[in-house]
Amino acid sequence: MLEFIGPASGLLFTLENIFWINIGVFIGSVFAAIPGLTVILCVILFLPLTYQMTAIPGMMFLLGIYCAGGYGGSVSAILINTPGTPHAAATMLDGHPLSKQGRTKAALKIALYASTFGGIFSALMLLFLGPQVARVAAQLGTAEYFMVCLFGLTIIAGVSGKSMIKGIISACIGLLLSCIGTDPMTGYDRLTFGVGRLYMGLDLAVCLIGLFALVEILAKAELKPDALRLDAKKMEDNGVITKEEYKRIARPVLLSSIIGSLVGIIPGTGASEASWFSYNTAKNMSKHPEEFGHGSVEGIAAAEAANNAVTGATLIPLLTLGIPGDGTVAIMLSALMINGLNPGLSLFTTDGDIMYAIMLGLILVNLFMLLQGKFLTRLFAKVVSIPQEILTPVIVIFCFAGAYSVNKNYFDVAVALVFAIIAWVLRKLDMPAVPILLGMVLGNMTETNFRRALHISDGNPSIFFSSIYCIIFLVLIVVAVGTIVRGKLNERKAAQAAGKEH
Amino acid sequence: MKQFIDRVDARLDAWGEALKRREFRFPSDLTAGIVFALVGIFMLLAMPSQITVTGGDVVDGRAFPALLMIVMLAGCAALIGKELVKLARKQPITWKTVNLLVEVKALVILGILLVTYLLCKYTGLFVLGAVFCALGFLVFFRCRKRSYYVITLGLAAGIWCAFRFGLGVSF
Repeated sequence: MLEFIGPASGLLFTLENIFWINIGVFIGSVFAAIPGLTVILCVILFLPLTYQMTAIPGMMFLLGIYCAGGYGGSVSAILINTPGTPHAAATMLDGHPLSKQGRTKAALKIALYASTFGGIFSALMLLFLGPQVARVAAQLGTAEYFMVCLFGLTIIAGVSGKSMIKGIISACIGLLLSCIGTDPMTGYDRLTFGVGRLYMGLDLAVCLIGLFALVEILAKAELKPDALRLDAKKMEDNGVITKEEYKRIARPVLLSSIIGSLVGIIPGTGASEASWFSYNTAKNMSKHPEEFGHGSVEGIAAAEAANNAVTGATLIPLLTLGIPGDGTVAIMLSALMINGLNPGLSLFTTDGDIMYAIMLGLILVNLFMLLQGKFLTRLFAKVVSIPQEILTPVIVIFCFAGAYSVNKNYFDVAVALVFAIIAWVLRKLDMPAVPILLGMVLGNMTETNFRRALHISDGNPSIFFSSIYCIIFLVLIVVAVGTIVRGKLNERKAAQAAGKEH
Repeated sequence: MKQFIDRVDARLDAWGEALKRREFRFPSDLTAGIVFALVGIFMLLAMPSQITVTGGDVVDGRAFPALLMIVMLAGCAALIGKELVKLARKQPITWKTVNLLVEVKALVILGILLVTYLLCKYTGLFVLGAVFCALGFLVFFRCRKRSYYVITLGLAAGIWCAFRFGLGVSF
């Protein structure tokens, strides 16, 4: 590891990288602060921009958005009692009450410090754990890799949405979409239906613009007129956090950082799960559990440390196995691969200097997030009040410009529109969209390994059960499916019981 | 002018109220199962004409997509079966309520998006589409603040400039 730190630092500490980190952190904070705009939407919108950059600035920009998104969501949660991102919901429980007590600045500061600590802790986890996991990943063959893909897809299909079956159907659709275009092994066109332009396949960024961004524009139809404008509370306090409060938040911040990192490593689980789990743990371990829900500093710190501690940890399965921990990092995978960086051990050896620069960069991203949070929070707070009338067309124009700029072709804009309509129909049918994204990201890798393994075994499917790693992943899939199904049944029972009570 | 806009707004409000009351519901899980089963069957039938195979391979280019469609059909069968069992046992099935006003508004938004796309494509002037899009949404949201029009149109032109001159995207 040490042999890469020097060259990696040289690659990282350039003006270009510092510039893109700051732009990413700023955009991520602004997007996440605005309710209704998500981090995934932001990453999708700006992904085409990274196609014109090299690996390090491109990844620094996206990581800036991703990490700052974790903090930005707390701004609106604290100021207007509306979480900017889903994972800021736990922060809202104590952040807004503390703000109502006249301590808005203090609440925002606690959220910022906890987020920074969680983010840096997670980045260090990635730095030390990533290469070790990559070494294990290097021992995996094609059959094992297929099982890894299956494992990632199963978990994400299971945890996205209410029904696991619907998640699996969505994942199949995503995998099928990845088959469109030239066959990676034979070179023949597949599923192009006479549309010549499709021989190149569907561009991930273009599909995602339709699937996640434009569909949100269609969803503005559900918006009530009073939701067009939100007024943020003014920050009038001095923002002082007492020594006693610092002492109180130290333990939940550390514990939540550990929880967030562990949750982040598991594909399919994300910042929301981590923040709720950490919030409950902090409440159970607190000497003042009665304060939770009424402006507890520990509550804010626990939720924020956890949701940012997920950021580095989700990159561990992504960079070592190619399995994205959540939808946002799935998109980052394409930014890596477009620069010829494929997940696995080679990323930590052959391309070690680039990889270590990215991992060290994650620490830098968190430090710049702290700086911007300290000096620009007033601006982020104002952004919360941007009216939807202005925001909506701006997002559409970004979507169209982004889709066009991928291949400099209006065909891609049409594809994005078609995907927006499909996503709208999927919403009506309660079909989750995240497994489609995962299917599209993992499609090529899944199919190539599936076919190569069967070629090696001369068509004998027993190859998928032949090694200890295959069996481990098979057991993991069975355990994961069992746990998810049990969880969903419990949820249903609880909902039925609640329904009977009312 | 103001009176005319007020009259249009009043008419739209009246239509909106009428549409808001109209709701229809459909069995979402059953519908999803049927729709995707049809998609799966269609894809399986279309595969021979859409994927060329040479015949000598142990695993050809059709194997993976065909496997996917079989898994999807199995999922659809489970979804449909689950709902049919519920129906047979007279248990409540999963319904989805759709509000007509929301769907009409979504169609209007889709219309704005489509016209924006067509304007960009056939004039070759992205900025024209961007301006239409900005105006379209401001009118859709019934915005009456002149400052919003100025800001949004300025931003629309600004985004075009950023892509055109900053990133070198020629459109």
